[in-house]
Amino acid sequence: MTRFLFRRLLFALVLVVAVSSAALLLTRLSPGDVATQLGPFAPSAEVVRERARFDLDRSVASQWVLWVSRAARFEFGQSFLYNRPVGGLIRQATANTALLAVIALTLATLTGIPLGIFTGSRRGGLLPRLVTGASLVCLSMPPLLTSLLLVFVAARTGWLPTGGMTSVAAVDVTWSRWVADVAWHLPLPALALALPIAATFERLQSQAIADVVRQPFILSAVARGVPHRRLVVRHAWRASLRSICAVYGLAIGTLLSGSFVVEYIAAWPGLGRLMYEALRARDIYLVAGCAAMGGMVLTLGGVLADVLLVAADPRVREGVVR
Amino acid sequence: MRISRFLGILVTAGLMAAGYAAWRSAVPSRPASGLAPQRGGQLVGSTRSELRSYNRLVSREQNTEILSLLTQGRLVRINRSTFELEPWLAESWEASADGRTYTMHLRKGVFWSDGVPFTSDDVLFSLKASYDPRAGSVVVSQLTIGGQPITATAPDSSTVVFTYPAASGPGLRLLDNLTILPKHKLEAALANGMFRSAWDSSVAPADIVGTGPFVVREYQPGQRIVLDRNPRYWRKAPNGDALPYLDRIVLEIVPDQNAELLRLQSGAIDLTQSELRPEDYVAARRSEEQGDLSLLELGVGTDADAFWFCQKPEVKRNDPRFAFVQKPEFRQAISYAVDREQFAEEVFLGAAVPIWGPITPGNRPWFWSEVPRYRHDEDRARALLKSIGLEDRNGNGVVEDARGTEARFTIVTQRGIGWYEHGTAFLRESAARIGIAFDVAPIENGALIQRLLSCDYDAMYFRPLATDLDPAGNLDMWLSSGSGHFWNLEEKTPATEWERRIDTLMLEQASTIDPDRRKAIFNEAQTVFAENLPVLYFAAPRLYYAHRTRVLGIVPSVLRPPALWNADMLSVTGP
Repeated sequence: MTRFLFRRLLFALVLVVAVSSAALLLTRLSPGDVATQLGPFAPSAEVVRERARFDLDRSVASQWVLWVSRAARFEFGQSFLYNRPVGGLIRQATANTALLAVIALTLATLTGIPLGIFTGSRRGGLLPRLVTGASLVCLSMPPLLTSLLLVFVAARTGWLPTGGMTSVAAVDVTWSRWVADVAWHLPLPALALALPIAATFERLQSQAIADVVRQPFILSAVARGVPHRRLVVRHAWRASLRSICAVYGLAIGTLLSGSFVVEYIAAWPGLGRLMYEALRARDIYLVAGCAAMGGMVLTLGGVLADVLLVAADPRVREGVVR
Repeated sequence: MRISRFLGILVTAGLMAAGYAAWRSAVPSRPASGLAPQRGGQLVGSTRSELRSYNRLVSREQNTEILSLLTQGRLVRINRSTFELEPWLAESWEASADGRTYTMHLRKGVFWSDGVPFTSDDVLFSLKASYDPRAGSVVVSQLTIGGQPITATAPDSSTVVFTYPAASGPGLRLLDNLTILPKHKLEAALANGMFRSAWDSSVAPADIVGTGPFVVREYQPGQRIVLDRNPRYWRKAPNGDALPYLDRIVLEIVPDQNAELLRLQSGAIDLTQSELRPEDYVAARRSEEQGDLSLLELGVGTDADAFWFCQKPEVKRNDPRFAFVQKPEFRQAISYAVDREQFAEEVFLGAAVPIWGPITPGNRPWFWSEVPRYRHDEDRARALLKSIGLEDRNGNGVVEDARGTEARFTIVTQRGIGWYEHGTAFLRESAARIGIAFDVAPIENGALIQRLLSCDYDAMYFRPLATDLDPAGNLDMWLSSGSGHFWNLEEKTPATEWERRIDTLMLEQASTIDPDRRKAIFNEAQTVFAENLPVLYFAAPRLYYAHRTRVLGIVPSVLRPPALWNADMLSVTGP
């Protein structure tokens, strides 16, 4: 296990360097650079100064070497948009996205998996079909549409804040009230992110349970008179977890990509919104920094999924199934 | 599967019904018009981008401009509603007969927000910082006359004498560009070359002091900027009340304009920093009918969408189409082909007025209604094309010259802007009727600017923003050598005779003091421009602005920010 983890972390490091370097180079090579943010008719002296500030007056290779050497010392350069160091911005944004992602993933897990067990272990009936229908709707709605719909409903009803991470009133409040305020702002973006993932979990879990209950060891348990609830929860569910664990890593990727849109629409100050704005502004070092952090999160998600798989399925642990 | 699909439709319908019911259940607020301003309360606005700097002398970003209006002062200000010059930190002045010397008397009893008295030293310091090459000032071009700086002396702590290197048409209006900054806070930074970064957005707000109505309380990147009332603010209301009325202004950072509108409608924010898009007007009107929003017509915008061909001979010399693109008749033909009334109707949903030049009716002091016009006339357009040898010789619907070069071009425009897409589509259809073929290529903003700067395009459809309403402050567009002379950037010598003529006229009007004479000269420059049509303008949008009804005291402006330029007079009903 230790060797496995070491190998995966080494792979993570290579991936982070590759992804962030690719992001840096693609941003550099794509048409228009950060100086275009000064407007079409900015004085040339100002343009030259800004290009030099972001090393755009150097060759691509020279800029990359400079950036890598600085990044090795944990200096990721300055952001044009925010006029401050990239490192601090990414740390703050990652913390905000992590909070949102953990809540969304928890929500998706706690709704998607039980509902999947329910629909997968029942044949026919109105309720399972209703759940299946709702899942199909959620699966077919992209996060952009979900977040816009939720913001619209929130705006019309006032049931939830329409966006942001804290309310205006949170400027002068105690820490506990601040936490409550953040919690009040979480449902909208968390739901927008969680709904398609919950639907994915539900569909996968349902299919997996339906497959497992046809297995001989389940039929044997039925023959032994094991009660239905125990049969499903203790035997079938555990055996069916493999497919769910396998998509957990993908779910983290989905959360990250979904956060691009959801955080932008819901004005959540997270990594997705930061990267989106950085890309639009060709904010080269901020793009590279965000890509590095995104790569790191994705790889860690993959590791987490593997660990969960090993924990959930003894056959994987024992090397029977890979 | 059929049942699942049916259930899916059922759930979707249920969601839509719930959304509709929720929308109908929203309780409208009461309009607050006619109420007297109240002291206290908090106004929540929005902004769509981050703050980069607190220092207006080194940054021209919109947020820096807004923060400058809210927290700093100028000696004089141009009223954004009337365009008149008003005394501000200077309460009076005298001008010499030759218009080159201005003696400004500073307002007494003005303090910086940290309690330090405001004096003439601060004015001299701000002017010095504007010209310091290490500071990288962005206002230096607005504060130079014929390439020479303005000089200033301070006979005493409340008097400043400005000496202009030459007579200037705008006169004291130039000083609206000079934000007065605190010498006691920034002198060391200027001395050691750190002025440019001294007031970056990462600086602690407590270090930002000003003479404006508000002080910065907090900046939370990605979330909001919070400003509190400046208790030392000098200005009083006409009835003697201390200003500002508001205790706090919060600017929520909402990058998406759709989300911004929804927040405005829901009451999460009170106002925005931009006018409504044409497509948002109906939704805002509905909210007004429900009593949630007040809808104001700001007037006709001062900037309009422009269409032009790259006319840089160095780049286009080998392009056979340049032979006819550079002829005014070709551009006039396109102008005749476009029905501007219909353009305003279709592109701006009727909320626009036809125009024939860069100065719109929104720029009241400088608009000239007698500028040459090109009424929609397709026969005349075809005749003009024929007069320069362009005819449809092979019957494919596109005109070509004697050598067979077709009048076929690609229009580059910015992607994602609705009225650009509609405008270029209208233009393509209009031009097709006279035999000119346009293909439209919407591209991302950064790529568009790069192409503009390198003249890597046939034609472009875009809205260049004027740097100043006064043409003397916008010479970078008018002069052939200007960095904003967008159809042929920074010409070494005027490429055409008519550009040389415009150069002469613009330099003359910029150095003329008599306002009537200036207007007459500028009218002539506009005429030369409209006759030669280096750039075609079709319609200027009427601007509408929406704010919550609880906000009082808004004096709308066609310039951005439409409401916060007058923030010290704003008030709200309720907390």
